Amino acid sequence: MKHFLAMSAAALVFAAPAVADPGKWSDEPVRIVVTFPPGGTSDLIARVLAQYFESEYGQKAVVDNRPGAGGTVAADFVAEQTPDGTTLILGNNAPFTIAPTQFEDLPYDPMGDFTHIAYLGASTPALFVQPSSGITTIDEYITQAKGDGITYGSSGVGSITHILGKAVDIELGIEQIHVPYQGSAPAIQDFRAGVLEAYYDMVALNGDLITEGETQPIALAAPERSAAFPDIPTFRELGHDIVIENWTGLSGPAGMDPEMVKTINDTVAEIMQLEPVIERLAQFGVEHTPMSAEDFTTFVEGTITTWEPLIKAANVNG
Amino acid sequence: MENLIGFGNGLLVALQPENLLYCFVGVFLGTFIGVLPGIGSMAAISMILPLTFYLEPTSALVMIAGVYYGAEYGGSIASILMNIPGTPSSSITCIDGYPMARDGRAGIALFGSAIASFGGGIIGMIVMAILAPGLAELALNFGPTEYFAVILLGLVAASAVSNGNPIKGITMVVAGLMLGTVGVDITTGAERFTMGIPEMRDGVHLVIVAMGLFGVGELIVSIRANAKGAFQNEIDYKKFYPSRAQWRAMFAPILRGSGIGSFFGALPGTGQTVASAVAYAVEKKVSPNRESFGKGAIEGVAVPEAANNSATQTAFIPTLTLGVPGSASMALVIGALMMYGIVPGPRLLVEHSNLFWGLVASFLIGNILLLILNIPLIGLWVRLLKIPYRYMYPTIIVLICIGVYSLNNNVFDVWLTLAFGWAGYLMRLFRFEPAPFLIGFVLGPMMEEQLRRAMLLSRGDATVFLTRPISGILIAITVILLAYAIASALRARRRARNVAAALSETEALSTSKKG
Repeated sequence: MKHFLAMSAAALVFAAPAVADPGKWSDEPVRIVVTFPPGGTSDLIARVLAQYFESEYGQKAVVDNRPGAGGTVAADFVAEQTPDGTTLILGNNAPFTIAPTQFEDLPYDPMGDFTHIAYLGASTPALFVQPSSGITTIDEYITQAKGDGITYGSSGVGSITHILGKAVDIELGIEQIHVPYQGSAPAIQDFRAGVLEAYYDMVALNGDLITEGETQPIALAAPERSAAFPDIPTFRELGHDIVIENWTGLSGPAGMDPEMVKTINDTVAEIMQLEPVIERLAQFGVEHTPMSAEDFTTFVEGTITTWEPLIKAANVNG
Repeated sequence: MENLIGFGNGLLVALQPENLLYCFVGVFLGTFIGVLPGIGSMAAISMILPLTFYLEPTSALVMIAGVYYGAEYGGSIASILMNIPGTPSSSITCIDGYPMARDGRAGIALFGSAIASFGGGIIGMIVMAILAPGLAELALNFGPTEYFAVILLGLVAASAVSNGNPIKGITMVVAGLMLGTVGVDITTGAERFTMGIPEMRDGVHLVIVAMGLFGVGELIVSIRANAKGAFQNEIDYKKFYPSRAQWRAMFAPILRGSGIGSFFGALPGTGQTVASAVAYAVEKKVSPNRESFGKGAIEGVAVPEAANNSATQTAFIPTLTLGVPGSASMALVIGALMMYGIVPGPRLLVEHSNLFWGLVASFLIGNILLLILNIPLIGLWVRLLKIPYRYMYPTIIVLICIGVYSLNNNVFDVWLTLAFGWAGYLMRLFRFEPAPFLIGFVLGPMMEEQLRRAMLLSRGDATVFLTRPISGILIAITVILLAYAIASALRARRRARNVAAALSETEALSTSKKG
């Protein structure tokens, strides 16, 4: 018993300063749950984070891929873990923004069951058309859509690119023919085979096709022009108020200690300022904006309400 | 000529000591992981992915590729010895490989599979070296219409796969097609047969079905059949070298399988499983030895193995030259390349020609290494069967559970596998064949997706299937095949009727004589 007490005391003494280390919040390795299988953008971002958590702050971290059902399997799993900072989720619009409207029987509450910790950044989708179609402006696109009609590819029903397509339908008063794919890669393949007339996809992943002249970007769904693609106008500056961004952020189970949340938020903010990290994320077209945990929480809540009508429209009309 | 120079340079790259080492590590690790049931190339590649971040891009790619085709090879070992597909695409190998093992011919089956894999791998590599640029162009011309036509052709060919009772065969194909519809409908987003379970929204994973039906089902059957081990005494350890006749029997199937495999591998979105399924179906139609398919025909082992290994090599064509991953594993390869800032696409061949040709050359070296590594090991693998079932079964069950769990890190999948295990047991009990079921399950969802997409794109005009040249030709071949199948079935029936008539006549004669 005496031995046990001594051990506990020692554990307390040693544990306390360890946790107080700047940027380190747990003695246990932290598990970053990713909603996609290994290899995608989300997975690579998580691995970058895990790498810098350890190399810069001594915070051990591992990536845990739990794909399935549009990220809801992963979110449901994280919602049920102990809120001690050892389980985090690299969240995005799929489980937090889209799923709450799309699925009636969602097993978790995107706000009540989570502590939203840190915003990482967002990439933006754009509208692309066939270069051979001769369409280069949004007005020509509208004319074509109202005339012979337009078929566009998305990365799936209820995906962010489908929702953008719906937003364009509503805002521009047109009706494009939606052709869903499983991810954007097969959609682009069909586009290049000449069977699709248009598609929506993350602009950063199409850099090569744009420079090769294989695809013609029309408009970007970002609030401002992208630094990497300054020639592409935004929908907003063309007079159509459409902003749809594919955001990514870190969240944990509900009830995390505010001190710890602040530590993680600060650590992430510092990592996001590192030159190699900025470069790596730029490859995926992710641009970071610093945001406090409170602002991030408000942001997530905001996306749920603003996207709701679009998601409903996307589901009703297939 | 350009290709030859490129290949020569590539060989120099691939023969650099460190690349040689990583190639060996890759194929060795791949074979080992491939043997473990259910842990396929996908899991294997994601396991070594963090390791490759510290390597030079070419070495990393060579190693990842080695794991990929090594696993494909290793997968057949588990299929043959234990009726448990080590990788999804080797599930077709179970159909004839396992009966061979039961007959005590496991050694020959393994040897045949090694040779077929080697042949397939080398032919796939040659196809890649010669045709990569051209094939990439062809694949670009494949739209939904063409995909639908080619899958339809595959399915019609597959309808001939079932042995014996045609009613049971059709039942199984339809059951496979139905299981394939489970999950969120890709075209409308509607949930089908998900029973409100979130895990079912993505459908049922092929690994779960294959492991359940073949692996767990087989275990239950064996436990019931003989607790001591059904065939452990009949194995001839020394005999794994095929006879001259068997060599000859395998030769043409390997060529045909490699051809079909190379074609499907180069098409993004089909891949090895479809390749081996279609190759098996076609072989079953053309082989002079077709009656023994499903009962332990060496051709039935050689064909899917040649097909899936050649497909494994050619799968790199669309991945590297178009940036279009044909499978989840290939998506990982793209992810790995992106980490190095190399963007796969049409310019990769020009900008990173050493990487491309180094990889192609490493296929040659890797396949030779696999052969050297595995031929001596056949005796060892066969000896696995000597392990008493009371040690073997629990180990296999544990490995299956780990493999299935590693798919999505989800326990639900383990329970689902168990359910399919019982389904597999019942199927075996009532003599329903798993092959048509599996083929329906693999091809059905893909065919539906492409059909509906083609119809959306043509705005509801079904004539596109006939008016687009490639799909028109494919549909024509399908119709001819179907007509031939019906004609030969009718002829067989007429012959049977004539025989029966002749028999009853002689019978009538003999009875009348007696009378």
